[in-house]
Amino acid sequence: MISIAGLRKSFGAAIVLNGIDLEIRQGEVVSVLGSSGSGKSTLIRCINGLEKIDAGKITVDNFDVSKPRELSEARKRSGTVFQLFNLYPHMTAVQNVALAPVEVLKVPRKQAEAEARELLRSVGLSERADAYPAQLSGGQRQRVGICRALAMKPSYLLLDEVTSALDPEMTAEVLSILANLAKGGTTMVFVTHEIEFARSISTRIAFLDKGQMIADLPTKEFFSDKGMALPRVAQFLSKMRKD
Amino acid sequence: MKFDLSILAKHVPFLLEGAWLTFQTCLLAVLGSLILGTLVAAARTSASPQLNRLSAVYVDIFRNIPFIVQLFFFYFGLPEIGIYIDAFTTGVIAMSIAGGAFTSDVIRSGILAIDPGIIEAAQVSGLKKSTIFRKIVMPIALRASVRPLGSVFINLILTSSILSTITLNELTGSAKIVASQTFRPFEVYFVLLVAYAALTWFVSILIGMLHRYLNRNQAEGAV
Amino acid sequence: MRYDQFTPYDLVLLLQGLGVSLALFVSTTLIGLVIGTLWAVIRFYRVPVLAQMVAFLAELLKNSPVLVQLFLVFFGLPAFLKINVTPTEAAVITLSGNSAAFIYVIAVSAIESVGRDQIEAARVFGLTRWQILRRVIAPQAAAFAIGPLTGLLVNQLQVTSLISVIGVMDLTKVGNILNLRTLKPFVVWTVVGALYYLAAKLVAHAGARFEKRLRAHTAWKGL
Repeated sequence: MISIAGLRKSFGAAIVLNGIDLEIRQGEVVSVLGSSGSGKSTLIRCINGLEKIDAGKITVDNFDVSKPRELSEARKRSGTVFQLFNLYPHMTAVQNVALAPVEVLKVPRKQAEAEARELLRSVGLSERADAYPAQLSGGQRQRVGICRALAMKPSYLLLDEVTSALDPEMTAEVLSILANLAKGGTTMVFVTHEIEFARSISTRIAFLDKGQMIADLPTKEFFSDKGMALPRVAQFLSKMRKD
Repeated sequence: MKFDLSILAKHVPFLLEGAWLTFQTCLLAVLGSLILGTLVAAARTSASPQLNRLSAVYVDIFRNIPFIVQLFFFYFGLPEIGIYIDAFTTGVIAMSIAGGAFTSDVIRSGILAIDPGIIEAAQVSGLKKSTIFRKIVMPIALRASVRPLGSVFINLILTSSILSTITLNELTGSAKIVASQTFRPFEVYFVLLVAYAALTWFVSILIGMLHRYLNRNQAEGAV
Repeated sequence: MRYDQFTPYDLVLLLQGLGVSLALFVSTTLIGLVIGTLWAVIRFYRVPVLAQMVAFLAELLKNSPVLVQLFLVFFGLPAFLKINVTPTEAAVITLSGNSAAFIYVIAVSAIESVGRDQIEAARVFGLTRWQILRRVIAPQAAAFAIGPLTGLLVNQLQVTSLISVIGVMDLTKVGNILNLRTLKPFVVWTVVGALYYLAAKLVAHAGARFEKRLRAHTAWKGL
């Protein structure tokens, strides 16, 4: 379980997250929605320890991410996929995927690379397994990014606006992979702008506004009268649908 | 006076011996500079303020004092504190230390140019700091730095001529001997100058090839 | 009696040496500026043969050790041309030529940094090539060149130390003399190094200030 309690985070004078409470249990797919600057991405960066939190507590399977010793254990349990892929440019797709299993989990290299190839095959990249990131399209890069996160067999997958840098066609290919993962029971925290997609795969929706979580509802309820009763949510949904 | 190169012919083997010594010093100094430069670049980009300051001071000092002064400092100074090493070793050490300062600057800017997102990706996948430095940071920074590092190494080749002032008979030192034996300093130093220029030109071609080879997979859209 | 203690006079000697180093640095820099800029203008006008010769000469000077150039001028020229060359003359000739080669390279890239479209626009208005160079290119190129030029000058200041090898009484030569007399190499070379360091910092500081002033003319000041 990922448990967030009373999380506060500010950059200088700007308060980005102001008292967030959220729990994500095994098997859930939680989408985090909200307008730009609402603190969605920062939330993910706090969970994987890339940002130091100012107050509150985040634990991943009871490992406290603000304690350096426990952070590495917490990180072993979660995998992150980035908006801008952040692949290692000097490594092939296979090497990107196999690096952490070899270095962190001490899997023998041969085995790790075989598993990496299998993962890449499952996302339709068996042909491009030995290509370097620069030789791949954006959608292909993000698929490698997803494989890299999955290679560590994480209990939780953290997805930070993973389709924002892709054109519609490539977005579709990445989303279909995520839909499959969701169906297969992978626990996900999904920060996104893709409302319709979030609606189709998530079990729950968390809505952030100005650093506060103003809704945390089962998907069905969020998109029903209950969600619409919240003025900010209604405003957001109508605006996003117009776009 | 006639410009006559033929008188140099019988001194070529002797000069080649000197060139061989130049090659050895430069090779060792390049290795030394790379090792030292990498360590110092790591220190300068580390999170520790003490290491930052210490490494910055090292670079600042050795970049702003003439090499010949550094060389004399070691050559005359080391015996003073009971360290007796030959001119060759002294030269290699001095060149490595000076070269290390320049090398660390190049590697440091290579490191600073790395997209922070790539480092973050490595951090969240649980890699240790040392692993990230060895497997991610250095390979990327070195690939990006081949050309500027090449300039530093070419400068080291030119700098190695100064070792002739501490009795090391590398290429320039041997040429001095030949010049005084033949009484033809103009021819000797003219050939020497062209030889150095040809050598550095050749090295710069090798560096260009190395750069293209190491970055062959980094061009956008290439298949 | 052996005079192996430091005397107050040594300080005067050191300052004298520093003065010689700085004087040669300043004068050869100015000569180098004139020659290097002239070479760049020759290239700008694409003077046949001369432009190629200049480019070749600059490459040769850039890619060979200054020490060898110094030997060629100091030992080679007198023997070849049967003329008399004093150490100071050799130093001035060599350092000026060497600086000119590097300044030429900086000037060429500074000229090339000015956009083609500007030059074409100026041509449309009927400006001559000289007017374009003076009114359009020169002010922008100067602002572009000042940064690399400062870096070069810090380097050339250190290069002057090599003239001690042919007997010019510069700071390094004074260091040599004090070193041999007092047999206190660490003290002597540390002091000499510190003086060079301060001079280098002074040059860098002056360059930065000059750059700021030059850029102030092009900076947006608001309405």
